[in-house]
Amino acid sequence: MSIILSIARTTIGEAVRRRILLVILLIGILFLVIAPSLNMLTPRQETTVLKGLTLGVIQITSAVIALVLTVYMLPNEVERRTIYTILSKPVQRWQFLIGKYLGAVGALGLMIAMMTFTLLFVYAVMQSEDKPAGAIALFIVILISLVSLTNKLKERASGQVVIALMAGGLMATLYWIGMATGQLETFSDFGKTAAMFFIQMCLLAAVGVFFSTFASPVVNFFLSGGVYMIGSLFNTLFDAVAENADMSPFAKGAVQLLQSIIPNFQNFSVQNTTVNPNQFIRGEFYHYMNLAGYGVLYIAILLILGIIIFDRKEV
Amino acid sequence: MSLAIETKKLTKTYRSRGGKGVDVVKDLDLQVERGEIFGFLGPNGAGKTTTIKILLGIIHETSGEAFVLEKEAGDIEAHKRLSYLPERPYYYEHMTGLEVMRFYASLFKINDDALCKSLLERVNLANDMNRPISEYSKGMQQRVGLAQSLLNDPELLFLDEPTGGLDPMAHKEVRDLILNFRDEGRTVFISSHELSEIELICDRVAIINKGIVIKQGHLNELLTGARIELVFRGLAPDKAKEIAGPDAVVSQSGNSTVIDMAAGNNTDAIIDKARAGGGSVVSVIPRRLRLEDLFVESVREHGGGLA
Repeated sequence: MSIILSIARTTIGEAVRRRILLVILLIGILFLVIAPSLNMLTPRQETTVLKGLTLGVIQITSAVIALVLTVYMLPNEVERRTIYTILSKPVQRWQFLIGKYLGAVGALGLMIAMMTFTLLFVYAVMQSEDKPAGAIALFIVILISLVSLTNKLKERASGQVVIALMAGGLMATLYWIGMATGQLETFSDFGKTAAMFFIQMCLLAAVGVFFSTFASPVVNFFLSGGVYMIGSLFNTLFDAVAENADMSPFAKGAVQLLQSIIPNFQNFSVQNTTVNPNQFIRGEFYHYMNLAGYGVLYIAILLILGIIIFDRKEV
Repeated sequence: MSLAIETKKLTKTYRSRGGKGVDVVKDLDLQVERGEIFGFLGPNGAGKTTTIKILLGIIHETSGEAFVLEKEAGDIEAHKRLSYLPERPYYYEHMTGLEVMRFYASLFKINDDALCKSLLERVNLANDMNRPISEYSKGMQQRVGLAQSLLNDPELLFLDEPTGGLDPMAHKEVRDLILNFRDEGRTVFISSHELSEIELICDRVAIINKGIVIKQGHLNELLTGARIELVFRGLAPDKAKEIAGPDAVVSQSGNSTVIDMAAGNNTDAIIDKARAGGGSVVSVIPRRLRLEDLFVESVREHGGGLA
């Protein structure tokens, strides 16, 4: 396990320094920050549209990051020959692939967390009505305190402890802000939606890693992107096909086969309950657990298939 | 004595889209003894890197057998006892030299900062270990590579072009390190184009061309033939080639024409012909056969394919 974690850590370290990913993340965050200035709607519409828009931005940005992160992952290692030095050590190929995948997932988690935090910050400022400047100042003070505390701790504690403390500090701050602004429930909804996005992106990353074991980056980008697009329109698309009486049985069979292979990404888009307060999920906890289980199952299948192909691949 | 590396009829065939097979390595028989420095030479595309990749289990042979440290090539137990330094190694640039060492140490499940630091000190990087790799020169990166290759105290080291792109000072440092490895009882398998370097450090060599080993043996035995170098002034290179015959190497050095040939040839007759052709003798220098001569001759005999 230590080998896998070591490869994962290195992958995260590299991913968070890749300029292309940082630019995509920055664009996403910029959208989230300027979204409230699109005030051409009524206050009620504004909140609803804003929630939908910002969550959509997080989803699209995360999907692009997941694709860019994974399609180049293995080809880059081969091109730079780092894979040879690693595989000449007592490292099994499956350990390498899982390590790279976990690293990608870790980087994705970090980036989704940053966007979610920005969203909550923007939303809290919006809710502070006549005192946005005060709210912004408070956030900045909290952020600076957390960063300086982390820097001080870095010399005394291990990386994992620092990350855990930083994450805990942020969570506690968010909880306090949610309480103070009376928006704890909305914050919690945003958090759940972001968590589902994260699982969705883990699944997309697994698709990317699977295709990267045999496809070139460009082909992989379109394959993984295509699977994500079809999977995101899953219910809409396949319901429409099922209701189409004019379709030949052969075509329907082919579509059904596709339906049974392609993961349903649409399942994870649970933002409707966050955007629209009148909607709710019955048995919410079990629903989310089911979704997580579905995601993990698909991820496991994709990674196992990827390992089988990668094990025979000549790099 | 047991062998560090052994291949029997090792063949690697790549199939093109049309289904036609190309033998990159063909019926390769290699024996590398423990504790020696073995040079693996060949022109570009001869099959050197393919062979190393098979020995490391990165790619699989089409037929034949390959054993490394008495285990089948690619065996994870053998990987615990060997090391590999690829040509122009790349390291994750966000890391410092010390972090690179820690990362590779973790792949051996070694958690020993003192070891990482001492190996960096051994390759003269003690003062630079906390600088990012992106700020390292080629020579420094190569030295990090050598340091990481010693993390597991390996019995066998694969070095692919270990002095490629290095300045003369770095060349010497790397050469001395490799010689130290042998003194410590390690086996070193070097693939290189730097023939003068190989000649200085290797015990035995194999020359490979078009996937086939065309010469293999102890350097002392292979470099037995003597050579002679004739230097003329006023002799045209074309005329010199005509006089010296096809086996001689003719080159131009300033105003002089140099004929490099096997010592057994009739030197007196060639000098007479050169004089008759308008040339005057500047010097006649007998010398030992160099690895470069052996390499060029062997490859030419085997189809001439120098890339």
